[in-house]
Amino acid sequence: MKKAGYVVLILILTVLLAKSCLHADRAVTTPSVNPPHSITEEINYPDNQKNVTIDGIDYLQSQAPIGKFGGTLIASTIGEGPKTFNPFNSKDNTSSTLSEIMFDGLLTTHPVTGQPIPRLAKDFSADGDTYLIRLRKGIKWSDGKPITADDVVFTWNDIIFAGYGNTSTRDSIIVDGELPTVTKIDDYTVEFKTPKPFAPFIRMLSTPIAPKHAFEPAVKKGKEYFETFLSTNTNPKDFVTSGAFRLKEYVPAQRVVFERNPNYYIINRDEEKLPYLDKLVYLIVGDINNEVLKFEGGELDVIGLQGANVARFKELEKHSDFKIYNLGPDTGTMFLTFNLNNRRNNDGKFNVDPKKQMWFQDKNFRQAVDYAIDRKNMVLNIANGLGAPLFTAESLNSIFLNKELQPYERSLEKSKELLKKSGFRWDKKGHLLDKFGNHVEIDLLTNAGNTEREAIGVMVKQDLEDLGMKINFKPVEFNSLVNKLLNSLDWDMVIMGLTGSPLEPNGGKNVWMSNGTLHMFNKRPENYTKDDRTDWEKRIDYLYTEGALATDFENRKKFYDEYQAIAYDEKPFVYIYSPLRISAIRTKFKNVYPAPLSGITYNIEEIWVDK
Amino acid sequence: MQILIYILKRIFQSIPLLIIVSLISFFIIRLSPVDPLAELRLNPSVSQETLQKETQRLGLDKPIIVQYGKWAKSFVKGDLGITSNGEKVSTKLKERIPNTLLLTTIVIFLTWLVGVPLGVLAALRWKSKTDRILTVLTSIGMAIPSFFFAVLLLIFAVKTGWFPIGGLTSSNFLEMTLPQQIWDIAHHLILPVTVLFTLSLAGLQRQMRANLLDVLDSDYVKFARAKGLSEFDVIYKHALRNAINPMITLLGFEFAGLLSGAALTEYVFQYPGLGRLILEAVLKSDINLVMASLMMGAIMLIVGNLIADILLIITDPRIRVKA
Repeated sequence: MKKAGYVVLILILTVLLAKSCLHADRAVTTPSVNPPHSITEEINYPDNQKNVTIDGIDYLQSQAPIGKFGGTLIASTIGEGPKTFNPFNSKDNTSSTLSEIMFDGLLTTHPVTGQPIPRLAKDFSADGDTYLIRLRKGIKWSDGKPITADDVVFTWNDIIFAGYGNTSTRDSIIVDGELPTVTKIDDYTVEFKTPKPFAPFIRMLSTPIAPKHAFEPAVKKGKEYFETFLSTNTNPKDFVTSGAFRLKEYVPAQRVVFERNPNYYIINRDEEKLPYLDKLVYLIVGDINNEVLKFEGGELDVIGLQGANVARFKELEKHSDFKIYNLGPDTGTMFLTFNLNNRRNNDGKFNVDPKKQMWFQDKNFRQAVDYAIDRKNMVLNIANGLGAPLFTAESLNSIFLNKELQPYERSLEKSKELLKKSGFRWDKKGHLLDKFGNHVEIDLLTNAGNTEREAIGVMVKQDLEDLGMKINFKPVEFNSLVNKLLNSLDWDMVIMGLTGSPLEPNGGKNVWMSNGTLHMFNKRPENYTKDDRTDWEKRIDYLYTEGALATDFENRKKFYDEYQAIAYDEKPFVYIYSPLRISAIRTKFKNVYPAPLSGITYNIEEIWVDK
Repeated sequence: MQILIYILKRIFQSIPLLIIVSLISFFIIRLSPVDPLAELRLNPSVSQETLQKETQRLGLDKPIIVQYGKWAKSFVKGDLGITSNGEKVSTKLKERIPNTLLLTTIVIFLTWLVGVPLGVLAALRWKSKTDRILTVLTSIGMAIPSFFFAVLLLIFAVKTGWFPIGGLTSSNFLEMTLPQQIWDIAHHLILPVTVLFTLSLAGLQRQMRANLLDVLDSDYVKFARAKGLSEFDVIYKHALRNAINPMITLLGFEFAGLLSGAALTEYVFQYPGLGRLILEAVLKSDINLVMASLMMGAIMLIVGNLIADILLIITDPRIRVKA
């Protein structure tokens, strides 16, 4: 009898426990980390670098406070390390970052305003389809040979236009099937001409310039040889570079060491040649955890922090030798998207179930989903509070962001109103039915293994179930998801992310133009000729085409503002949030001016160590 | 002469084995749903032409069997092909093999140097306090997962600052003098060696102990003792020589593990060895690199066994008679 009493007691306890757990299933708003203050307000950026001519040599002069020479900065790169040191061959971030340390471009981006400014070029002027570049006189490659117009013309004609190495630069500047032209006016003047006005071209002028005398023999040996030119096995002495640093040593899977380029053309206000640092080291670390340990152990000087680590380091910061900077929202976008496809596949079947097509193609339905998503809660619970809710197609740090598009709160009432407008109703149990009485049941996919997107999926599912929808959330393997999105097209809703550029919206044309390869919400098969674009798709096509043709920034912004407004209204993508980028750097480094657009070590030549 | 024929026979026997191993591994890798180009496909700035070019370059547009044929043909010729990044597989392997060999030979050397005597000691002091203590210690060694142990030691290194946090050399290695360089490498090796040593010591010590106990219990040892031989002669002349035989087989396997045994530990300590390279290659389905390493592993195993068998023939007259 006594035993039975215990059993009953345990049962009751279990039921109570289960009950309370069920209640707690709803994500709770936990007190989370306060993101570190935004950096822009507290940093006094030095004046812009300016041109000075000394003994006939056109230097670029840093206006940052004068520092001491010497010392090393140790940064890191996650993954397997560089695949090549040839900036024209690199296909991954690490290789590009490391090779671009050694090779400067004609122009660069202003770290704060994002406008193009001269680098290797002394100055430039853009007029519609013509770009006139004047080079610096008397500046040299690391081997002492002068940098002239021949190098520029060679780089563009013989490497980029000729299709050597990674052709993505070339592919992105073809206008109506035609390439721009480049002509040498004199030894220090070059003229670029695009087939018609094409604004994104100016960003391409920050492509590195190659030394003709070092690259020409490799180019002559053909494309196949060029793929292996300046590979990671190259002797560091064989590099002829123009950047602040040149390669000193590459130890596979351990580190890349750069040393200062004694011929660099940027000087300080005392007219001494920069960079201040003797060495710049990139440690190759396998994963984020190891990187954090190395920073904590003092082996790294600068690090990007994420999630829970931010809170921990914020605590450590008080009695430690580093400072944490908040660089603002990331450039990537994360979104929930619908399959608006109404076409049949090769077997004559609809890609999307016709009853679901009715829902997804209904703007009210898409907006209802949007209003039901609780972005704030996701930022708090998934991104540890280190994120910003996102409502626009351009990322929050984009210079083309349409600031008139306001964020709004979650509102189930608005959602329900919108659904009612389109004839949706609810049965007695609260399930959502469309006007033909079909239960609204949707498959939601994302790529398995990405814990952030999986967490978003779970919360989206909960949010939409509040509207009475039935959501089957299935993380699937990345490759099969890509295949569904781009080839088989049999999906309902997907949570995905894309990278973007804060400087040039034209990169998004693959996503937004109706014939784009990544136009995932309404992907048309290759060589599709029928014009079945919706009105707003047509308008976006027009805006993207015109936006690239207009050259003046204010003009362009109008086009891109309108496309963002359409995206904001039509909601083919329901944007979720942008994570914040948080970086830490040791305080012994001076002349550190973090900028949201450029990161923390963009001015590596000006950074110095205070011992 | 007989031994030569025996070796040749063994080599011929291993050829079909290698073919089967290569077939199975090739198909498993290719049939797994890892698309080496998936990342590129979702990158808005990558054009369709670039994707097609990459597909052709990696041979992904051809049926699997053709891909296998191409790979096998060049493998037989001694060409390991190129990685998905266009680097030569052989150079990639050459960069890493010395590092891994350095780590594994030190570990094997240490474990045998310590493990065998400890095993003998435990067997001789069977059921004594020494034996019990050793059993407890080795049980702990066997029970700790290598991954976990490695992480623990890393945290220890961070907290105390006594050891570098992973890697093999410091960033200013080039500027050091030779003795400094040797110390630097040794300093970096201490933690990974500790992890691997603890793990393999346990197994080896127990094996040795069990073997010797087995032999000590046999009739001929009892006979030798009855005959009045000194305890030293009984153990070191008769018992130990017989107990060591199974250890030689084990040595064959250790040889196979020389190049592939430490992937997890290498990964945690960011050690620039083969294990880490191959782990990364598997994750992105870099077929030539993975195949080269798998084949290398298979060949090392076959060679290791062969060496063990030959050593056995030398040490054990009974096998010689049969062969």
